[in-house]
Amino acid sequence: MNRRDLEHGSVVVTDDDVRRLCEFLYRQTGMMFAQDKRYYIDRRLAERMAATASPSFSSYFAALRANAENEIEHLINSFTVNETYFYREDHQFRCLTQTLLEVIAPKKQPGEPIRIWSVPCSTGEEPYSIALWLLENWESVDKYEIEIIGSDIDTSVLRTAEAGIYGERALHRLPKDLIARYFEKRDDGFYHILPEISRSLQFTRANIVDPAQTALHRNFDVIFCRNILMYFDEASRRLAAENLFDSLVPGGFICLGHTESMSRISALFDACQFADAMVYRRPLESS
Amino acid sequence: MRDIAPRERAQTRVLVVDDSTIVRRYMREALERAEFAVEEAFNGVEALEKILAHPFDLLVVDINMPKMDGYTFLRALRRRADAHAAIPALMTSTEAGPQDIDAAEAAGANYYLVKPVSQDDLVLHAKALTGRSP
Amino acid sequence: MPLLRRGKPDETPPPVETTAALAGELRHPDPERRWSAARRLGDRPGAAEHLAAALTRETEPRVVEAIFTSLARRGGEESAPHLFPLLRSDDAALRNGAIEALQTMPAALAGHIEELLHDLDSDVRIFAVELTRKMPAAPAPVALCRLLDRETHPNVCAAADDVLAEIGSRDAIPHLQRCRDRFATQPFLPFAIATAIETLSRAAH
Repeated sequence: MNRRDLEHGSVVVTDDDVRRLCEFLYRQTGMMFAQDKRYYIDRRLAERMAATASPSFSSYFAALRANAENEIEHLINSFTVNETYFYREDHQFRCLTQTLLEVIAPKKQPGEPIRIWSVPCSTGEEPYSIALWLLENWESVDKYEIEIIGSDIDTSVLRTAEAGIYGERALHRLPKDLIARYFEKRDDGFYHILPEISRSLQFTRANIVDPAQTALHRNFDVIFCRNILMYFDEASRRLAAENLFDSLVPGGFICLGHTESMSRISALFDACQFADAMVYRRPLESS
Repeated sequence: MRDIAPRERAQTRVLVVDDSTIVRRYMREALERAEFAVEEAFNGVEALEKILAHPFDLLVVDINMPKMDGYTFLRALRRRADAHAAIPALMTSTEAGPQDIDAAEAAGANYYLVKPVSQDDLVLHAKALTGRSP
Repeated sequence: MPLLRRGKPDETPPPVETTAALAGELRHPDPERRWSAARRLGDRPGAAEHLAAALTRETEPRVVEAIFTSLARRGGEESAPHLFPLLRSDDAALRNGAIEALQTMPAALAGHIEELLHDLDSDVRIFAVELTRKMPAAPAPVALCRLLDRETHPNVCAAADDVLAEIGSRDAIPHLQRCRDRFATQPFLPFAIATAIETLSRAAH
């Protein structure tokens, strides 16, 4: 193996330091980095070492393993794209309409709503995306009542979500005709989602690590919990997974971010490989 | 005359399930030298996910792994109502008593190798369980 | 419009049950009730002994998982004494559940790890090595190097080698080399040690 030492000021980081970092991330999250991503990894590591004023790789690595100052979250954040926008990872929405709802809907009693939870919902792009996707793509959408709830631990993003005002960047994946149908363009260039949509969704505060709060959010058919669990430490991830399990109906589904896996989190769920996505399912009750 | 590419012999696919990266590498090297196609899983949960994504001809499964141990994984696999349920499984473990071997058989293992496993033994039994000549 | 907003979620708090009542629920024939009780005991002082006792008889995997999560939430001082004996269990799920829970309790481990690394049972020593993987930096690699110097069972050495590759430094290399020399004819261990030495020898300090 070729040795390539990186100079970050006076700090040297070797190939094997990077290998150990990748092994740690792999154990922690299941994320794997191929050799062709090395430059990318080196840059992210250099940034984090500078940000934590680490004099050496080993001192940074020790801080990382102890999760000092939530460094795991910062490191993973630096590797993942954090921007939220409409129709992000929409293959999962496709899975929702093509597969999940085909399983869920026929079992509903007349008048019994389909319940979908987006958590964390941040500034609302995800729950609104679910709403728009269903209206645009689910042929049975008028036959059922659908409750979509968006929750977050941060009340300021919830207020933004309720307001439903977005810039062009957030809408960049939406077709122009869809934007015209569901948004009003304001004089300041921002787009306001139709009030009949925003008033039809519910936004609540919830911390998924707190069983008392998740207990208020129950009986969901589908939960979208994307790109949050991988930041938690071991104990919090487990508890959050149990809370989410409890919030699902038996047979209900949960979607994680596309780089996330339950394999580092919990054995509670059954993995389901569908054409558009890997989804996890709370088992149906055994008789 | 046109060059015709030789038809590739379909490789026998093995999933190595162990939480130790070093163990997985050791097994991968031996199995790849013997012309198996190898994939890896960190524990029983990941193994179940990988099996859903691709068919495998053989599983090599350790016992002590976080989140889902080898016995729990095999029992869950054997309970399935599809073709994955019958994939041959070679169980590896540091345990060596007759009760451990019985437990492995009860969980659905086809064979049991006590660690430390030699690369030769691994390949020998992998070939036996997948019907390849030794 | 099929989208529907209902009223606010019902904020009525659940009925308060005593710890003793919840402990009783751990014996309920309905696994849903046992699951719920196991989860709720996670924030009850003194619950660890009830949770641990339930592990001796619980057969539903998700209840076992919830019990371990709650034991971890109770913390090392209360739960660790109940978790250490599980390292000797015949049940792989209980052993591995205990290891995962103990790995969240580095303070409780600190006082017991040397004892476990000296246990007469080689399997317990293997599990003790795994426990050191998540311990904060300094003492663990030193303890593993000392173990390598005295250990007679190759699988215990292999376990220590695996963890040292992750948490060790160049200081571990002489210990690994001497171990490899003692076990030169073993399958796997020479390979594993060579791999760890290669990783550590190129690690910066």
